[in-house]
Amino acid sequence: MAMKQQDVGTIVGSSVHLTGIIKDTSDIVIYGSVEGEIHSEQKIIIEESAFIKGPVNGGEVVISGTVVGTITAKNRLELNQNGTIKGNIDTAELLIHAGATFIGKSNMPDKKGTEKGIVHEGEFAAEVEEASEEKDEEKEEKEKDAS
Amino acid sequence: MYYYIFASPKSPAERAYFGRIRDIVREFGISGEMTQASPARSPEELAKMGLEKGNTTIIAVGSDTHVNKIVSQVVKEPPNFAFALGIVATEPNSLLYERWGFKKPDDACEMLKFRRLVKFDVGLIEPDHYFLTSARIECKKPTRINLEVDHWKATAIVNRVEISGNLYILLERFMKERSIIKSALNFLKGEVAAVADRSIFRGRIIRISSLELLPVYVGDEVVAKTPVNIYRKLNALNIITKRDKMVSRRD
Repeated sequence: MAMKQQDVGTIVGSSVHLTGIIKDTSDIVIYGSVEGEIHSEQKIIIEESAFIKGPVNGGEVVISGTVVGTITAKNRLELNQNGTIKGNIDTAELLIHAGATFIGKSNMPDKKGTEKGIVHEGEFAAEVEEASEEKDEEKEEKEKDAS
Repeated sequence: MYYYIFASPKSPAERAYFGRIRDIVREFGISGEMTQASPARSPEELAKMGLEKGNTTIIAVGSDTHVNKIVSQVVKEPPNFAFALGIVATEPNSLLYERWGFKKPDDACEMLKFRRLVKFDVGLIEPDHYFLTSARIECKKPTRINLEVDHWKATAIVNRVEISGNLYILLERFMKERSIIKSALNFLKGEVAAVADRSIFRGRIIRISSLELLPVYVGDEVVAKTPVNIYRKLNALNIITKRDKMVSRRD
C-alpha cells in the first residue's frame, strides 16, 4: 500500500511505546504511550488508549486518554469524558466534559488578552489610588462613629 | 540525448509492450539510444555506461525494482555534468504510477516529451543503496522492532514497515484472523488481513533493529537486513515529471 504522504501528520499507533521528543508542523494523533515532549502548531489528539508522560504543546489539544504533565494549548483545550489530566494547563479556551478528571492548576488569559493576576502598570496605579481613597473614607466614617 | 534502459522482459507480452513504448517515443520525437538489461548487462551497468557516454537524459523503463536499481547507480556515481532521469513504470501496481499521477505508460512517454524537471529526495540504506520508491520490511507474525528516529526512540509490534524515499515511516500491524477457514480462504483469494494498528512518522535519520534478522526489500530485491540505518539525501535527483499536476513530495 502506498502512503498518501501529503495528507498525514504523525500517528503513534496503540502498539507503539515512544520515548523522546515528537515535533510536527501538522496534526499529531496518539493511540499508544509516549514518554517525552509533544509539540505541534496544529491539533494534538490524545485518544482513549493513549498514555502520555511529559509536556504537551499544541495549537489545539483534545484529550480522551491520560496525560501526566503540563499542557499548553494556544487556542483550545478539550478534555473528553474519559480523559485524565494530572498537571497544569495553560490555554485560551477550555472545555471539560462531565466525567473527566483534572488534577492541577489552570491558567487562562482574560478577555482583554492579559493573563489573570498580571495587571498593567497604569491600571495597577489607578487601582492603588482607588483602594487608598476607599480606606481613607472608611477611617473617617469610623472616627465619626467613635466621636 | 536520450538513453533508454529497458528492463529484461519477463514474458512475450511484456516484450511486445516494450516494443510499443519504443514506437510511442519515436512518434513523440524523443527517441534515442535503446538498451535492454539482461543477465549479461545489469541495469546498473547500463546506467553507468549511459552516463560515461555523456548522455544527459537516462530513461528507465520497467518495474519499480528496475527503476530503483538505476536510481541507486546514478546517485551513487553521479557524472560531473547535469543530467535528468525519466521514468516509464510498466507494472500496473507500480508505486510510481500513483506518485507520478499517470494512468498508463503512454502518459509517461508524453511526460518525457515536455521535460519538466523537479528535484527529488532519495533514501539511502547503508552502506550504499539508494531508493526512490520505498523500502519495506514484512513479517508474517507480529514482530517487535526498535526504531530510532531523530530525537526519539520507539518499540513497536508490527507486521509491516514501509519507508518512502523522503523518509515517511509507516508501521502496520494486521488483525489476526481467528477462524482458520476464513484465514485459509483469505490466503487462497490473496486478500490481505485488515490493518489493526497503524503509525505514521517522519524523520531524517532512521535506525531499525530487531531481535531476528529481518530482510529489507526495495521492490522485489532484498538489499539489507536489520539492523539497518536509513538516511535521506535531499534534492539528489532531477526527475522528469508531469506538468502542472506533479508535486514534489518534500517537507
